[in-house]
Order: sequence, then C-alpha cells, then structure tokens
Amino acid sequence: MSQFDNQTLENLKRLCRMSCTPEEDQDILHSLSRVLDYVEQLKEIDTTGIASCDYVLQSMLKNLMREDEVKPTLPREEFLHNAPDQIGGMIRVPPVMKAP
Amino acid sequence: MKTLPHELWEPVIGLEIHVQLNTKSKLFSSAANRFGDEPNTNISVVCTGQPGALPILNKEAVRKAVQFGLSIGSKISLVSKFDRKSYFYPDCPRNFQITQFERPIVVGGTVTAFVEGTPKIFHVNRAHLEDDAGMLKHFTTFAGVDFNRAGAPLIEIVSEPCIHSAKEASAYAAAVRAIMLYLDASDGNMEEGSLRMDVNISVRPQGSTELRPRIEIKNMNSFSFLEAAIESETKRQIALYSKEPHRPPEEIIIPGTYRWDPEKKETTLMRRKESADDYRYFPEPDLVPVVLNQNYIDEIRSSLPELPQDRYNRYLEQLELTPYSASLLINDKPLCDYFEETLKIYPNARQLCNWITVEFTGRLKERGQTLLSIGILPAHVAKLLAMIDSQLITGRIAKQVADDMVASPGLDPEIIVKKNPDYLPVTDTSEIEPIVDEVLAANPQSILDYKAGREKAFAFLVGQVMKLTRGKASPAIVNELILKKIKSTNP
Amino acid sequence: MTHTPLHHFSAAQLRDSFVKGEFTAVSIAEYFLKRIEQHNQQLGAFLSILGPRMLLKAEALDRKRAHNKPLGRLAGVPVAIKDNMHIAEEITSCGSKFLNNYRAPFEATAVRLLEEEDALITGKTNLDEFAMGSSNEHSAYFNAHNPWDLSCTPGGSSGGSAAAVAARLSLIATGSDTGGSIRQPAGFCGVVGYKPTYGRVSRYGLVAFGSSLDQIGPFATRVEDIALAMESIGRHCPFDSTSLDFPPESYHLQANLKNIKIGIPRHFLENLKPEAKIHFEDNLQILRSLGASTIDIDLDILKYSIAVYYILATAEASTNLARFDGIRYGMRAKDAKTLDEIYELSRKEGFGREVKKRIMLGTYVLSAGYQDAFYKKAQKVRTLIIEAFDKAFAICDAVAMPVAPSSAFPLKSISDPLEMYLQDIFTIPANLAGLPAISVPSGFDSRQMPLGLQLIGPQMCDVPLVQYAHAFEQATQFTRKIPPLFDGLNS
Repeated sequence: MSQFDNQTLENLKRLCRMSCTPEEDQDILHSLSRVLDYVEQLKEIDTTGIASCDYVLQSMLKNLMREDEVKPTLPREEFLHNAPDQIGGMIRVPPVMKAP
Repeated sequence: MKTLPHELWEPVIGLEIHVQLNTKSKLFSSAANRFGDEPNTNISVVCTGQPGALPILNKEAVRKAVQFGLSIGSKISLVSKFDRKSYFYPDCPRNFQITQFERPIVVGGTVTAFVEGTPKIFHVNRAHLEDDAGMLKHFTTFAGVDFNRAGAPLIEIVSEPCIHSAKEASAYAAAVRAIMLYLDASDGNMEEGSLRMDVNISVRPQGSTELRPRIEIKNMNSFSFLEAAIESETKRQIALYSKEPHRPPEEIIIPGTYRWDPEKKETTLMRRKESADDYRYFPEPDLVPVVLNQNYIDEIRSSLPELPQDRYNRYLEQLELTPYSASLLINDKPLCDYFEETLKIYPNARQLCNWITVEFTGRLKERGQTLLSIGILPAHVAKLLAMIDSQLITGRIAKQVADDMVASPGLDPEIIVKKNPDYLPVTDTSEIEPIVDEVLAANPQSILDYKAGREKAFAFLVGQVMKLTRGKASPAIVNELILKKIKSTNP
Repeated sequence: MTHTPLHHFSAAQLRDSFVKGEFTAVSIAEYFLKRIEQHNQQLGAFLSILGPRMLLKAEALDRKRAHNKPLGRLAGVPVAIKDNMHIAEEITSCGSKFLNNYRAPFEATAVRLLEEEDALITGKTNLDEFAMGSSNEHSAYFNAHNPWDLSCTPGGSSGGSAAAVAARLSLIATGSDTGGSIRQPAGFCGVVGYKPTYGRVSRYGLVAFGSSLDQIGPFATRVEDIALAMESIGRHCPFDSTSLDFPPESYHLQANLKNIKIGIPRHFLENLKPEAKIHFEDNLQILRSLGASTIDIDLDILKYSIAVYYILATAEASTNLARFDGIRYGMRAKDAKTLDEIYELSRKEGFGREVKKRIMLGTYVLSAGYQDAFYKKAQKVRTLIIEAFDKAFAICDAVAMPVAPSSAFPLKSISDPLEMYLQDIFTIPANLAGLPAISVPSGFDSRQMPLGLQLIGPQMCDVPLVQYAHAFEQATQFTRKIPPLFDGLNS
C-alpha cells in the first residue's frame, strides 16, 4: 500500500516543476491514490528471471545511425517565432544563479 | 581519534571529464557542431526540444567513443543503450539529457599519465556518450539562452577514485586530453569548453582504504584551477576533520555541489545534494540499442593512430630522450607534432627537445604564444641548431638569436646571424690567447685536476674563458688553445 | 454530374472520380469545407479549419491534373489531421492551452506523405489534451460529440478525427493511438480505425505521449481506404530511430477468411456484459461464415494491462511533457518573475487536470525508491504480455475482441478516473506488445449506438490483418451507414 500523502505530492510537484490550486491538489491526491492502489495488483505476478521490456520490437531493431553531415535545419527566426521572450537572438529568462 | 597532522592525510579524488567530440554535426541532430557562431544559429528541432522531434544517433560519435575506449584498453560494450536523465534547467531543451547510465559503450581501461615527469597508471571506470546542454549567458537583469551547444556530442570519462594529489589529477586530465588530440576526436580547447572536469573529492588518513563522504566541484576548465581547487578543498576538509576529530565523517562533510572561485581562491557551495537531484533514469524509448560487432571494433583498433603512450615509448627507446623531456612533449600534441616535423630536418632529438621545450617555449610563454602561434618555422629552428653544431655560433649566441627569432618570427636565423657580425665568434687567436693565459694562471688546481683525469676541470676552464669573452670566443679555438697550453706546462 | 453526394463517396471512389476528371479539386474542397462550416459547431470535431490552405492546394492539384502529371493515391481526398501532429507553419495545439499559439516549425512525416499523395488537408481535429483521455472531454478547448448521438462522447483521445470521418466532414483522418486512442473512438463512431505495428508509421512530427506505445494511424469509412492511407504513410523514416526499416507494403484485399484461425481469449472476456457478449458471438459467427475457424487462447495476463500501461505510459509522458516549461515556446505565465515561477506557473496554467495527474503519476513511478516496484516491475510484466501474445499467435492468425466494453457513453457520465481508464482494457494490450490492431464497425447496440470488433495481429502482419477486417466489412456493410444528423445534402 503506497503511502501517497500530501508530502509526497509536494515532493512530486517540486520534481516536475508544477504548481496546483488547492482544489487540484485534493483531486490529484485522491485520483493518484486510487490508481496506485489499483496498480498494486502487479505484485501478484511472479517476474523472477523475466527481462525488462526495454524495446517493444527487440528482435527487429537494427542500429539506426546517421552519417556525420551538417544539414540545414532550424532557422533562428523560425525558432524565435514561438519564443515567449527573446533578446539578441537568445531566449530571455530571469537572472539565474550560475550553474554549478 | 587523535588529530592527524596535515601531511598524514591524503585526498581521494575521482575525475569526471566531459570532452566535446569534434564531429561535424551534433550527437542526435544534423545541426552544426561549432563554437563561436551567433546565438541560436546552429540549431535544429531536435536540439531545441521541439515537440515531435526525435533523436538520431551520429555514427561518427560512436566511432570516436570506440576509438577512445580502445586507446585505453577498455572493454567495448557490444550492446549499449541510452537513458533519459531528468532535471529542469533553461539550457536543457527537453529538461532531460540523453545519456548512457545503465550500459555505457566503454567499460574499464587505464590511462598512463606523467606526474611531474614520472609515468603513473590511473584506472578508468567507464566512458559514455551523452548530449551537451546549451549555454546560459548571465547578465545583470536577465539571462540569455543559446542552444548552439545543446546537443553537442560529449564523451564523459569517469575515473576510479584512484587519484591522490592535485598534480596527479592534472596529469591524468592532461593525459586524457592528449589521447583525444592524438585520436583527432576533440580539439581539447579548454577555453572554449571542449573539455570540462568535475572533481569528486574526499580525504582520509594515509594508509586507510575507507571512502569518506565526498563533495563535488563542478565544471573546471583549466588545469591550474583544478590543482588550486583540489589543494584548497583538501585543506578545507582536513581542517574540518581536525576541528572535530570525534565526530563521524558523515556529519562533517555533507555531500554537495561546489564551484571553484578563482578570485576568492576557495570552493563555494552551490547546493546540497537533495531529492531534487533524483534524475529518474530510465531507458530512452526513442533510440534503439547501439549494437556493435567484433569486425567493426577490430577495424577501428587496427586503424588507431599513434597514441601518446606509444609515442612516449618511441621517444625513450628510439630517440633516447629522458622520461621527463619526453613527457613535456607528449601532452602538448601541437608542439609534439612540431618537434616531429623539425626532427625530419634536424635529427639530434635530445638537442632539439631541449631547445623546443625549454629555450623557445620559455621565451614564448612570456608572450602567451607557442612556436606555432607565433609562426616560427621548423626549418628555422633546425637551422639554428645546425649552426650550433657546426660551431658557427656559440651556444650563448644561439640564445640571443633565439630571442631575435621570437621578436621577428619568420626571420631566417642565418640572416639574423649575417646581419649581426657580433654574433659570430671571435676566431682571432691573438685576441683569445691572452685570456686563456689569464684563466690558466688563475686556476692552477684545475690544470692539475685535468691532468689527473677529471674532464670536468677542462670544461670549467673553457667556461671561464667563455665568460671572460662574453661568449664570443670560438669554442673550437678556446679548446685548442687550452689543450695546447696545458700540454706545454709542467706535468 | 453524378447524383451521389460527395460525402457518400469512399476515398478510393473519390480519388478515381477526380482522376477521371468528374470533379475539380477545388469543388471537392469547397464542398467539404462547407460541410465542416455547417456542422463543426455542434460536432466540435475540428479545432482549426485550414480553408485557404486547402483551396490553394486544390488549385495546384487541378493544375497538376491539367498538365497530365501523375496523380497520388489520395488525389482529391479530404483528409483531417489530429491536432497533435505537425503541419508546417500551422498551429499544433495538442488540445492544450499551453500550445495555443505554437506554430509548428516542421512537418510530420505522415502529413508530408499524405500531401505527397495529393491528399487535401481540411483541418486539425480535436483531441483530449496531449492525447491523454478516452472521451475527448479533456480537450482544453471544447468537447467533441458523437455524430450518432450528440450527447455522447465520440471517444478519445482522437475524438475529433473519429467524429469528422463518421460525419463525413473528411473521408480520412489521422489519429494517434497510445492505449486505444484510434480504435476506441472508431468503434464509438462507427468507422474503421487502424493502429499499425509499432514503428510502421513514423512518429516524427507527432507530439509524443508514450514514446514506446504511440503510433499514428488512419480513420476511414472503409477498410479499403485504410489500406490506401497505409500504403501512403506506412514507410520507413530516417528521422525516427524507431521506424521500421522495411519497404512499404501493398494491401491486396480479399473478401474471405478461408483457413484463417481467429483466437478468442474467452477467459479474459468472461466479464463482458451480456449484451456485449451476445454481440461478440454474432461477430464470431460472421467470421466463421467467411471460412475462419475460432480457437480458444489464453491471454489472462491481459487483466494486468491497464496497470502496466498507466505506469509505463505516464512515466514516458512525464518526461515527454517536461519540455513544456514556458522557456522556448508555448505559454509563459505572465505573472512569473523568477525561473521557478516560469516553470511552475506556466505548467500550472497551461496544463489541464488530467495531464497534471498523469505527469505526477509518471514522475512518481520513476522516482527513487519507487522505480523498482512500479516502473521496472511494469516493464517485466510487459515482457510477459508480449510472450503471451507470441504463444497465442503460434496457434492463431489474429485475435478477436470487442474494441470497448460498451458503446459510446454520455458526456460527463464518467468522472472517476479509474473507471475511465478501465474503458481501455481491450485496446491497451496491442500497444504494450507493439501489435497491429484494427477496429471495424460490427453493428449497433440496443441504444442504436455503433459497436466495433477489434482484430489484433502479430507484429509486422499489418497487411493480412487489414485483409481480415476487409472481409468482415464486406460481409456486414455496417460502414455504409451514415449518422442521420449528418447525412443531409448540402444546400
């Protein structure tokens, strides 16, 4: 029985950078608890020795690589057309602490 | 636990080196992999994280990764795969990086590095491919994001925690960089960010094998900063342990990410390790596994160029250079190639090595230049040394000619000498003889020493004459005169 | 001039008539644009109607025909595109506020292929936000309605496409299917809906939801038209690493099922409601009358499909939707002052509730401490599901199941998320195993609402599967029925 409580919700919101209204919080808490209870049923299945399905078409996958060639791709104006805020050809964001 | 003196502690260091591969296009898109262009002009829908865009792996990046792995004797994974690493940051176009977490392409391996001239073996844990983030440019009231670098192919090389000093760390990093240059897999340009180092560092009492809590210093792009940061952090950690010798290490050193502040000359905390660092790695569903066969690997192995270690061995065995001199050349590939080029014309390796690594390099460093950047031709260096060998000029004069070559790069040393009659040695015996007499008269003991078999005494006498003639006397004539006069004196 | 209204034509028939010169492309375009204009208000099928663009393309197509140039497979056929696939330079909203002004910088491969075959694109269709839903009620814009009963859902997430085709506002539409989002709406709206083998159709230009599950596929009023669409879009794409590297296929359609074995997972289906069970048995009788035999197969493991799906799909989605962060495109919250506020508020305001739930769920099942129990466990059960199908296909050619537990439910009638998720119990398995699956109209229930029969084939057996569906369709002709509300002639 997964302990999906308010603290868990707060941690999740932080991890996926999302805010919610208090009403949404309640709804999400309730819905996710229900779904997590439901998916507990997977515990019933014995998966010892079973490989993880990392690729659904395992047997048919071949290397798909490309040649190292430069091709014309995204023009800057096209990219910046959708930008919420730009300056000097760059996307503008609020000042950020220098990355570690 | 008693407080240990500083010298009885040792740092335990692991380096993660991120090297940008010099492929033409990016790791997962066909945008140009180039530094220095106008912001957001080398971008694609993939590396700007547009919805609906999908990554396609660059085969040349795979090739260079395999080349690197083979160069350090690692195991190349026949099947490797990519994973998503989630974190939010404005320079990250998808807010996840595509990296190789679970199954990297290169496993294990060793790097031989010259620690202050002595070769030492360091162990690599793994190396893998991943895509680089864009660049955040900081201004006072805002920051600008440039995605030119986003998606550039990186190979991340992770060492074992087998490095135990600042010098070892920079030697190891320099060796890794040298391999990349010899493979032509990267330009290794640290100012442009082609090679960046993260340091994981803890300390422990010498002789112990424990691994205490460590901190991470991120994004170092200079060897001198690397050394300084390690020295400083080592001191800091030792001081903390010494202050509270009875407290458990986990309470003294709290894991966190630090930056090296070159102005304050100290490591500053950026953030503690917390749940926000949960990267939630899972297999990248948009990419298929990288499946390599033995033929492919063998073909790459057989076409590897001469590697730093091979060249070092050749220098010791065939050219008879000292380990120290060889090590000076090996890590600086452009200089080393210059040496090789000049060696074709002037085959005295030891002499050439000395002049290139000591005489010229010393002069050029002051100007912030190298033999290549200043434009002094290998043929001219060869000519200078030939002139010394033929005794056309003395060693001392040659140094002056070198000064002139540095001041006027591209000028032929033969012309320099022609224009400066002062440079030619004095060959007039009548000018030199009195000075020889003077020196012999002043140093009777040396004459006796020489007659007793000590060659060094002769060299001393020659040196004294050269000193008095301010290096202008012809060494051949000085030798001849001293020998003649000694022979003619009483035994 | 024929008396049959254009919207009664199948795509193949319209194409042939156009090629013969019986209609101009412009007149076809005007006809369907007028229908859309008349009906979209009540149907809510289209989010955007691309009238001027369609007319320009139609004019060009008429010129092409006038110059006797070869015409594509879909020449003159009106096709609608689900609004989570890119048409270059047009808005792709994904049914979300987040992208209400996002202009697609590139074209989806599937869209390009359709236009290369001279299809005429009518507009972008309505969907559950980011394809997350089974009723189209999660569109941030407005509901789509079932053409057979406007108070009912058309299904989801490709509700708009299904409704558009059922109401004959376009003759073909594209959808995307991650857990049934093409097949279930097709069943609810009485049209044919096809999800190809994973990798058969390129995902380049499809806004990703569950990368290892998503496939683009066609809706049509005839299986024959599905085949036409598949011949156009079922091709290898060098911009999608998961795209199958096999040649495109021709779909020759036979009208019988001689020697075909249909597998029935009886035990898995035992909880079907009585009416649905009877209907399903009737369907099986028809299959037998066409020469097929039925055989019992064990797919009990499929009862875990929903649990597996809601772990894996949300995990992938949580990372696929991380790029919607207010930084590079899409909505940026106006009140946001810091970087964190940009992320948090943009995502708060831009995403609807269902999307938020799934992102959180996906983040949770990948997070440290839970990944083994949820994500990794689900990945293993997925393997078991694939193996169960492999075993089944060893003894049968296709698996038959209803496409949904019931016919279309009234809008707003299901508010419990889990109850909504359980709607997908029959469709999810094909996505988990990468199998081709088709929903073909199979009749009407006691409420006079359409029902669908689902056939699932082994990986890569797209052509045979579509053939089986064609045989069933020819014997039943349910696809001939047009929803009465939308069958009036254009005035």
